[in-house]
Amino acid sequence: MNFVIVLVALLGSVWLLAVVEGWTTTGRLRPAAPLLSGLAHLGRESIVPRTPDRVFFETAPVLLLIVAVLGAAVLPLAPTLVIADLATGALFINAALAYVLVALIMAGWGPNGAYAMIGGWRFLGQLIAYAMLIVMPITAVAMRAESLVTTVIVGSQGGLWNIVYQPLGFVLFFIAAMALAFRAPFDLPTAPGELGGGVDAEYTGVRLGVLRLARLTLVITLASATTVFYLGGWHGPLLPPWAWSLIKTLAVAVSMLLAGRYLPRIREADLMRWCWTLGIPLALLNIIVVGLLVLVVP
Amino acid sequence: MYAQAFFVAVFGLAAIGFGVVVFRTSSMVRSALALLFSQTAVGCMFLAMQTEFLGVLQIMMMATEMSIMAIFMVMFMMDPGGMGGMDMTHQKRFSIGAGVVAAGVAIVVAFWADWGPVTAEAPDAAMQTRALGMELLGRSMLIFETAGITILTAMIAATAVAIPVQTTANSADKEDTE
Repeated sequence: MNFVIVLVALLGSVWLLAVVEGWTTTGRLRPAAPLLSGLAHLGRESIVPRTPDRVFFETAPVLLLIVAVLGAAVLPLAPTLVIADLATGALFINAALAYVLVALIMAGWGPNGAYAMIGGWRFLGQLIAYAMLIVMPITAVAMRAESLVTTVIVGSQGGLWNIVYQPLGFVLFFIAAMALAFRAPFDLPTAPGELGGGVDAEYTGVRLGVLRLARLTLVITLASATTVFYLGGWHGPLLPPWAWSLIKTLAVAVSMLLAGRYLPRIREADLMRWCWTLGIPLALLNIIVVGLLVLVVP
Repeated sequence: MYAQAFFVAVFGLAAIGFGVVVFRTSSMVRSALALLFSQTAVGCMFLAMQTEFLGVLQIMMMATEMSIMAIFMVMFMMDPGGMGGMDMTHQKRFSIGAGVVAAGVAIVVAFWADWGPVTAEAPDAAMQTRALGMELLGRSMLIFETAGITILTAMIAATAVAIPVQTTANSADKEDTE
């Protein structure tokens, strides 16, 4: 039952995010637009490029969708509303989202096209930049909760949300999450206007539809992870727990969207330099500060 | 119990199957990702054997490691896509011999070793994670720290070797390219 509820919540959030995305880009609020464009994708010709790596080409969009849903499976909407409350939940989400890289390399290599391939390998460089900034802030979150269980992590924020307890970790995780979801300004693997769509370039029709759905699902999963790790998950007054989880998740997802709209795309080398020379020292500092707080403050 | 044995067997066969693909394809990227999915299947075997932390860790680590290996293979191999019809195999007779001997030794060890009493009930996953943490930060700390420092040293040394030596002759070239 939880499985169905979480999936419906995920789909609903994806739809809302797509509507907001359309609203901010075209200026018109059209609730039916995501459904119509999804249907249009089904109707269009789905072109297969010449001499593709067929297995990669077909697998990549589906794999991206699966890992985004798998990541969401360990994130609770309410104390008991979670698909799998794993003992290693905070590690599992990293494991699932590591395969975003695999899916993008497949999507890049599969179609046998230059732009796609550059986009796919670019994401490998992007991973080298953001990976530590996902893992190290989560380490600090787990230190405070003294557990990797996501429901316990939310429980540990009953008095004080992690965004206040470890603001540095939140900022780093938020930026790294945007890079993982390859949203603007970190949309290097797709880079419309510069790389002709990158990994998206050779996909058309239903395959492109799946790829777009997977991308939006990934954003929602990461927004949900931000909510669980930093924004107190289901905690909040008056409304039921699941409503708070959904509201916070959507707020984070929309803020990612807006942050991307007003920032220019970052260069790969700059992203790498900033992440390694500034981000990782700050993430280590965050771990030390949280360690001191956990040990010193009762 | 039977379900557990079934899943261990299924993931084990998947690991072997992907392992075979590694050597059956000429595409370096396919080969690397087949090795990745073979290792992922081993991680799933860990999960089926109720060692949750090790399983999740294996599944996570392999994704990035094998992807990085894939790009190195694309960089250094002459026919990374396997579309040029190059034969990537060599020393076939020796490899077959070595493979058969290694498999034989593994089977002999598996059947003849004294594995001790089988644990009836695995501790729950949270306890396992805790016990592993205690082990890593206690008795085994020196071993892991030594290994970590060694790998770090190797990485720094490799990077240092890869940086071209700056001489007056090539510093002019460098300014041009930058």
